[in-house]
Amino acid sequence: MKKTMKVAAFAGVASLLLAACGGSSGGGGKSLTISSDLPLQGTNKDQNDEANNAMKLYLDQIGNKVKDKSGTEYTLSFKAYDDSTAAKGSWDDAQCAKNAQDHVANANEIAVMGTFNSGCAKIIVPILNQDPNGPMLMVSNANTNPGLTKPWDPGEPEKYYPTGVRNYARVISTDDFQGAAGAQFMAQKAGVKKCYVLNDNSTYGQGVSKAFADNAPKQGITVAGFAPYDPKQPNYTALFNKIKALGGVDCIYVGATFDQNGGQIVKDKVAVLGDNTKVKFLAPDGFVGYPDFDKMPEAQGAYMSFSGLAADSLIARGGKPAEFAKAFQAKYGSPLQNSYSIYAVAALQVILAAIEQSDGTRKSVTSAVFSGSGISVPTDSSMLGQAIQIDPKTGDTTARDMTILQLQNGKEMTLMPWTVQ
Amino acid sequence: MARHTSIESTSNRRWAIGFTAAAAFLFVLYHWIVPNSPQPVHDFVQGWFSNANTNEMIVYIIMALGLNVVVGYAGLLDLGFVAFWAIGGYVAGWLMSSFLGNFQINIFGNPAPGLEMGIHITFWWVLLLAGGFCALWGIIIGAPTLRLKSDYLALVTLGFGEIIPQVFVNGQDINGFNLSNGTQGITPIDPIKFFGFRDLGPFDLDYKFVIYSVICAGMVMVSLRLRSGRLGRAWLAIREDELAASMMGVPLMRTKLSAYAVGAFAGGLGGVVFATHINGVFAERFNFSISIIILAMVVLGGMGNVWGVMVGAIVLSWINGIGLQQLGNTINTTFNTDINFPSFNFLIFGSLLILMMIFRREGFIPEARTRLVMHEHDRDNEEVQ
Repeated sequence: MKKTMKVAAFAGVASLLLAACGGSSGGGGKSLTISSDLPLQGTNKDQNDEANNAMKLYLDQIGNKVKDKSGTEYTLSFKAYDDSTAAKGSWDDAQCAKNAQDHVANANEIAVMGTFNSGCAKIIVPILNQDPNGPMLMVSNANTNPGLTKPWDPGEPEKYYPTGVRNYARVISTDDFQGAAGAQFMAQKAGVKKCYVLNDNSTYGQGVSKAFADNAPKQGITVAGFAPYDPKQPNYTALFNKIKALGGVDCIYVGATFDQNGGQIVKDKVAVLGDNTKVKFLAPDGFVGYPDFDKMPEAQGAYMSFSGLAADSLIARGGKPAEFAKAFQAKYGSPLQNSYSIYAVAALQVILAAIEQSDGTRKSVTSAVFSGSGISVPTDSSMLGQAIQIDPKTGDTTARDMTILQLQNGKEMTLMPWTVQ
Repeated sequence: MARHTSIESTSNRRWAIGFTAAAAFLFVLYHWIVPNSPQPVHDFVQGWFSNANTNEMIVYIIMALGLNVVVGYAGLLDLGFVAFWAIGGYVAGWLMSSFLGNFQINIFGNPAPGLEMGIHITFWWVLLLAGGFCALWGIIIGAPTLRLKSDYLALVTLGFGEIIPQVFVNGQDINGFNLSNGTQGITPIDPIKFFGFRDLGPFDLDYKFVIYSVICAGMVMVSLRLRSGRLGRAWLAIREDELAASMMGVPLMRTKLSAYAVGAFAGGLGGVVFATHINGVFAERFNFSISIIILAMVVLGGMGNVWGVMVGAIVLSWINGIGLQQLGNTINTTFNTDINFPSFNFLIFGSLLILMMIFRREGFIPEARTRLVMHEHDRDNEEVQ
């Protein structure tokens, strides 16, 4: 009992000491923090590290300063959150929930750039939405799941906004358009007639492959089959032999991310059905930006769609993106090669534009995006080389630009831009 | 006998006071001290010992205590405990959300405005239902397999732990019925009503901590009471020597099944608690590594010892959650390095397990009986000398 008393006494003294140091909860003042929330472990590590570096560079370029609508100047700092765990090697639901709590708890934090995975956004957005000082704004550079902003599955998107007020925007287009662009390209340019559609059974994979499968018949493509594959399988020769037995399949669509055993899928596809000139291979942006995929001999000639404009074509446009890529190379000694990094800076520009139209509070920053005519970033300063316009009703970008890429000699080359009607 | 009862009641009182004091301290810390502290103190606590992580720790403690009954008390190796976590989580998903939209049932439930469709049952009932449902599954799985011994039983539980999560991953269309919503998971889960007067939103982590602590205390009490009772002694007898236990009249099947059922019940509780913690249930979480981490908590902490298992769960969940990341950040900042420490998670776990097996096989806080068994060889050597 004496021991218990000692422990209790120690706890009491410690509490008093800590409380004695107390003051206000900090924050506010003339400084603001913009954070990112991306998976920084596993296969997405490199491209998300690049995105964080690109955002830090952009903030440096603007002097880490921003003014609100009253002319008050704020010093900006950047904080990178990791929503992945080593155990999973990808985003983790508990980590996403914890990050959301931390975003809200960090009094200086004004808005979040992220997430990379739509599943993680579905956990974070409702929490930021209920921020007592918010809702807190989140702008994504990579979430393509339509349900986050428009009716898709039952209850979506309302269930992500418990307060009834929107707080989530994105600068990239959605999977329904990406799937449609893929189907249109395959029919009109690649000349395919019969496709087999696979997906990795993830939220993303199911959504984008369903969009492709729904649009393919409208373009005159027969969908020979629609099936999930198990990313844990050691090989898929049986699956592709089954597809071969169907006869006449001249295209494989894989709605997946490359880290879901995409390498094995491509190897076995080529081994059983032939190379990518014989039976065309199309994957969505889940395969974009993976050097391991780009280097695979079996992957050469594969097509990829991207829900926006690819890095090389953006940089080739000259102007702001080209200048930024040059500065990135100078600072970090490596080229800016990932499209999502450029879109991360574009999302950051949306956040900065929202702060400029606000009074410097979270609520006001969010309101700037979802009221009036919304947020727009003019062409001359836009990192995308064209104006960025966010629809204030949904938070979606008004752009419908897609890009079709092809792997050529180990490089992701832009084949053509594709605008979805 | 009277003396034994008196010692037991003193011991029970002691842990209850200690547990309550620790929980009260943490509540005060997160509710009053941290929010009123200067920003550096606030950032330090939130960075190294955030309340979200503490709540997750409690989930792991509940799970580890459940597995301790199966592995630590009864000596049955279970490599698929994550399955019960998954089942418990999905029971919360089915009974505390608008997911099953064809129904409109509300039994003291607390649906958010606009999400009244579906089944909404109060958190406390769902806890019991999930626990009971998992216990039932424990018995169903256990009944035909518990005749198997050691390695073979481990393989069957491993299979179970792999099959159940796959059912949920692929469960969005089972003959037209959506069981689990596949990888999209089920969100949101109804908020808990804090003892009837307050809806616990996403920022009421301190109040959730109180509720989770009560559940955890219940699990500790059940573990201790069972351990010292007739059933607990039967479990230990089976663990030490199954044949001898059988010869002494211990009904093997019934006793083993009860261990499985109690462990599974705890898994169900943990599943519901975790679902309310992250406000959803996602099939992709339930992978094999979770079963191994929970098993490591039991082994490292001290198989069979409730306090040891709790320490194991606290240490490993902290390392896995934020500890390694924070240590890595500190080292990288101090020495200007760029080492991705979290990627060494499994290396550190593995090394820790090897070191523990070499230097302290019985765990951090071993059960007295286990310590004796583990050091029997040393004692024999001493006697020979």
